Amino acid sequence: MDARKITASAVLTALALALSYIERFIPLNLAVPLPGVRLGLANVVTLAALYLLGSGYAAVILLLRCLLAALFGGGAAGLLFSLCGGFLALLVMAAVKRTAFFSVFGVSVLGAAAHQAGQILAGILLMRSGYLVGYLPFLLLVSAVTGLLTGLMAAGVLRAVPAILKREVEQS
Amino acid sequence: MAPASEKKTKRVYAFRPADLLAVLLVLALAGVIAAVFFTRTVGQEGLYAEIYRDGVLVRTMPLSSDAEAVVQGLYRNTVTVRGGRIAVTSSDCPGEDCVHTGWISGAGGSIVCLPNRVEVRIRGGSGPDAEVR
Repeated sequence: MDARKITASAVLTALALALSYIERFIPLNLAVPLPGVRLGLANVVTLAALYLLGSGYAAVILLLRCLLAALFGGGAAGLLFSLCGGFLALLVMAAVKRTAFFSVFGVSVLGAAAHQAGQILAGILLMRSGYLVGYLPFLLLVSAVTGLLTGLMAAGVLRAVPAILKREVEQS
Repeated sequence: MAPASEKKTKRVYAFRPADLLAVLLVLALAGVIAAVFFTRTVGQEGLYAEIYRDGVLVRTMPLSSDAEAVVQGLYRNTVTVRGGRIAVTSSDCPGEDCVHTGWISGAGGSIVCLPNRVEVRIRGGSGPDAEVR
């Protein structure tokens, strides 16, 4: 444990919570009228945490963000969706990052796709309906676009983050 | 920071051709799932809509006769059948994705209201009966 990392985690958690709230005011679902369509701004934080602090810290930040977002008005059903989506996305992103084949962009796109798949999984669990799989192709198309956008944002953040945090990249 | 690792770090944050593969992979996956899921759905005769709340069938509505139904869960969805099509015409749920989905008419189609945990499914005709449960 490192005080710098813990502090960075706290800041990133607060940032992720704020982003997941702000995201509600971006009416992406008017352009694509499907449940679960969102920009995935909070995923920028998960990505940044993964690259700066490692997968363990990213998982803790993700868990805290999901729990806090539920407390701040997401509700229990929302929690199941964000946990399923978030952790499947993190799992895929951590695995894909390890191969070093893709840049942040590729990792972000595959993470966004996994997030959608995870949410559909939560929907199937909650509503006991395999029909929800029919939404997945559309959500995957959307995730290819939103994944590139969040990847662009994460790349910008990672380039701009002070070197004091960046040093952790080589260590982990 | 050593120049070599600086270079490596920059590359990790820049778009590279391999990333296009990630996009293509996602698009291909979408295509395959769509092909498998939607080829099983055609047929217009004898269609009816099933309304599920919390995964439990609460109502069946034939698409051949115009009707309206109210589904009360955590929120209130008004489901309308008109001219062989069905839609959630009003809802007090946040987001109203179910209303924005609009009218659907094909077997296998569905409208979902996640906040209300309600799903409207069209069945019958030669639609898919082998759904996952």
